Amino acid sequence: MHLTDRQLMIAIDGEGNSSDVREHLDACWKCRARRQELEGAIADFVRVHADAFDGRMPSADGPRALLRARMAELNRPHSRLRFALPIAALALLLLGVVMARELMTARSVHAAVVSVPDARLTPGAAVLESRLAVCSQENLKNKAVTAALRRKVFEEYGIAGADPRAYEVDYLVTPALGGADDIHNLWPHSYSSTVWNAPVKDALEDRLREMVCDGSLDLAEAQREIAGNWIAAYKKYFNTDEPLPEHRR
Amino acid sequence: MLARFAESVGFSRAESARRDSRLEEEVIGLFDQFREPLLRYLSSFGLALADREDAIQETFLALFQHLQRGKSRENLRAWLFRVAHNIALKRRMQNRREFDAAGSEDAAIDPALGPEGQALEGEKRERLLAVVAALPEPDRRCLFLRAEGLRYREIASVLEMSLGAVSESLSRSLARMARAVERCI
Repeated sequence: MHLTDRQLMIAIDGEGNSSDVREHLDACWKCRARRQELEGAIADFVRVHADAFDGRMPSADGPRALLRARMAELNRPHSRLRFALPIAALALLLLGVVMARELMTARSVHAAVVSVPDARLTPGAAVLESRLAVCSQENLKNKAVTAALRRKVFEEYGIAGADPRAYEVDYLVTPALGGADDIHNLWPHSYSSTVWNAPVKDALEDRLREMVCDGSLDLAEAQREIAGNWIAAYKKYFNTDEPLPEHRR
Repeated sequence: MLARFAESVGFSRAESARRDSRLEEEVIGLFDQFREPLLRYLSSFGLALADREDAIQETFLALFQHLQRGKSRENLRAWLFRVAHNIALKRRMQNRREFDAAGSEDAAIDPALGPEGQALEGEKRERLLAVVAALPEPDRRCLFLRAEGLRYREIASVLEMSLGAVSESLSRSLARMARAVERCI
């Protein structure tokens, strides 16, 4: 009979004081190994949890000043509110400035507009080559990219400090057209700061896939066109010089 | 008589001002100590940074008033987490905002690990984040509170659950994480 995970957790956290558990652990290799696994998971979680906030904690100066002002306001009689209110307003302003500065330095310093991929970094890569294989699979729109790969893409494009929400890490050749999960096929596409943004490219991808699957366009040709110059391909297949209003977001 | 009354009122006002000033300093000291742990804990509610800061302001103002009224000082850490928890729940109900995931987007991986080690570490991190994101909310909060150093009794008090439920929740979450890590070794 071995210890349960719960008994082991209580022992790890020093929450129980059972001599039976201690004696069992002294004698049982299997339970000791399990305890080590749980401790390993704790260490991994602590690292990930700390990493998520490391160096990202906004300064306490503004919030502290605001709290002081608000406590002072609570302490003062109403007749003296005319002094407390400007202090609170000043503290709020300071908080706003501090938070804006945090956001600017954390996210916007490197925020560059990217509407076309760098051909040296993102030449495009495909895995599926048959039309049947592409068209028999689900339309993999906006297939998720792992955070590790996203980080690498941002680093390659020199925007490691940019706000990740401003970009879609986009497949140059979409998986819906046989594009590969490969860094050479990924680039950070700005969502909104440009006319030729990610939703517009998504529309082109849908159009090309439809054409490939209804047999009016060769798959290799579609891959070549989207990898070569997706904006030119959009203009060609939608017969327009500007993104259509229904594709803009 | 009147003079004595005025003097005693003046004295009690001055005394009260001194007491409030001491309380303010005490609250600021606790704010400096617990703001960061609370900001981290409140991220488990999916609140944006500005909302988390607001919830923390409300929490410490509530603490100030709690202490002004001479109420219990027993385990102020658990008290702060409990009040911040309740305020965050209320705020989330009032104002559901998009999950602020930026904090977990691009944390750096130790460059000393080398390319293979970094890849493995990255995969492990992804798996752990996925497991944590998929945990039921009470389990995730238990885990975050434990990561901030709260004991089981304090966690039970913040989340209003039994001690047994806390240990059960933590062992369940840790077992899931251990399985996830095992799969990428």
